[in-house]
Amino acid sequence: MTSVRKFHPEVRLKKLLAESGGITAGQALDRANEGLESIREDCLAGVDEKLTQLTQLAASSEAERGKQMYRCANEIFAEAGAFGLAELSAAAHSLCSLLSNVEDDRLPSSAIKVHIDAMRALRRPDVSGNAAARAAVLSGLRGLAKRHAG
Amino acid sequence: MSGVDPNTRLNLSKASVLLVESSQHSADVLAQIMKGFGVSEVHRALASDAAEKMLRAKTFDLIVIDPTVSDGDGYRMLQELRHSSGANAYVPVVLISGHVRAQDVARARDTGANFFVTKPITPNTLLQRILFVAKDKRPFVQVGNYIGPDRRFKFEGPPPGSDGRRENDLKSPLGDADEPNMSQNEIDMMIKPQRVMI
Repeated sequence: MTSVRKFHPEVRLKKLLAESGGITAGQALDRANEGLESIREDCLAGVDEKLTQLTQLAASSEAERGKQMYRCANEIFAEAGAFGLAELSAAAHSLCSLLSNVEDDRLPSSAIKVHIDAMRALRRPDVSGNAAARAAVLSGLRGLAKRHAG
Repeated sequence: MSGVDPNTRLNLSKASVLLVESSQHSADVLAQIMKGFGVSEVHRALASDAAEKMLRAKTFDLIVIDPTVSDGDGYRMLQELRHSSGANAYVPVVLISGHVRAQDVARARDTGANFFVTKPITPNTLLQRILFVAKDKRPFVQVGNYIGPDRRFKFEGPPPGSDGRRENDLKSPLGDADEPNMSQNEIDMMIKPQRVMI
């Protein structure tokens, strides 16, 4: 029979959190959001660089390009999402699902291209500033992903 | 601001946090959020070997790990941390992951993290998880190769149809009577004030 050992390690974080002073959760969230705003431009420039990298990887025949594209799309998913670019984040997530567990010689090139084109479109000022246009791009992409899965 | 009472007070001014991320910008996002929460010391590592070096040199109060760091080495890193005898072995760990492949779900569950959070990260979600750590009463368990917080948040007895394996497992469904019900008269007699005969 498997033996189970249970114990309660001391967690310093619990004591620190409860110490007097500090700030309210409301203040903490406001300050965190201000901090995020201060790096917004820099991070979105990073997202654009990753989109360029993704485009180059899709066109290349580099070894492990599927893995590299997956990593790139995963970072775009997280970083675009952290700054409220929900549609771009969702498109990157869809690309991650497409690339998940696929060998390089079986990569669905046309579906990858459509995803990258959609992501680039979502960064264009005329689309990024228009909620209906963003929703339309994402809806088209979801239809494609569904067909690809089916 | 669902989930967190805006009036809850927290003091992280003496806390030291290690962020282990695979991307510089994602690390920047987490660092800004932690600084906003009042964390005085925010350390970052962009690779698992750099993180392990920091874990050997310093004691942290919270560790946030993206398990995809260094090609998915974050899982191994956390598992080894829990098995180590170092000062950080039982420090609260929040795993933060982006797109999760099906095979990584079980892996994430078995590494010994306190919580698993999916990206994109928002300050609200992260604050909720940090406050959960403060309230978390789960014991650490060591069973087989697993060392970490009890993975069951709620104890609901043994699985249906099983007698359970623990000494304190109830042998029948909770609430089932194990002797005949008492009559209303018997119940009344038990709760009725009695004159004490001296």
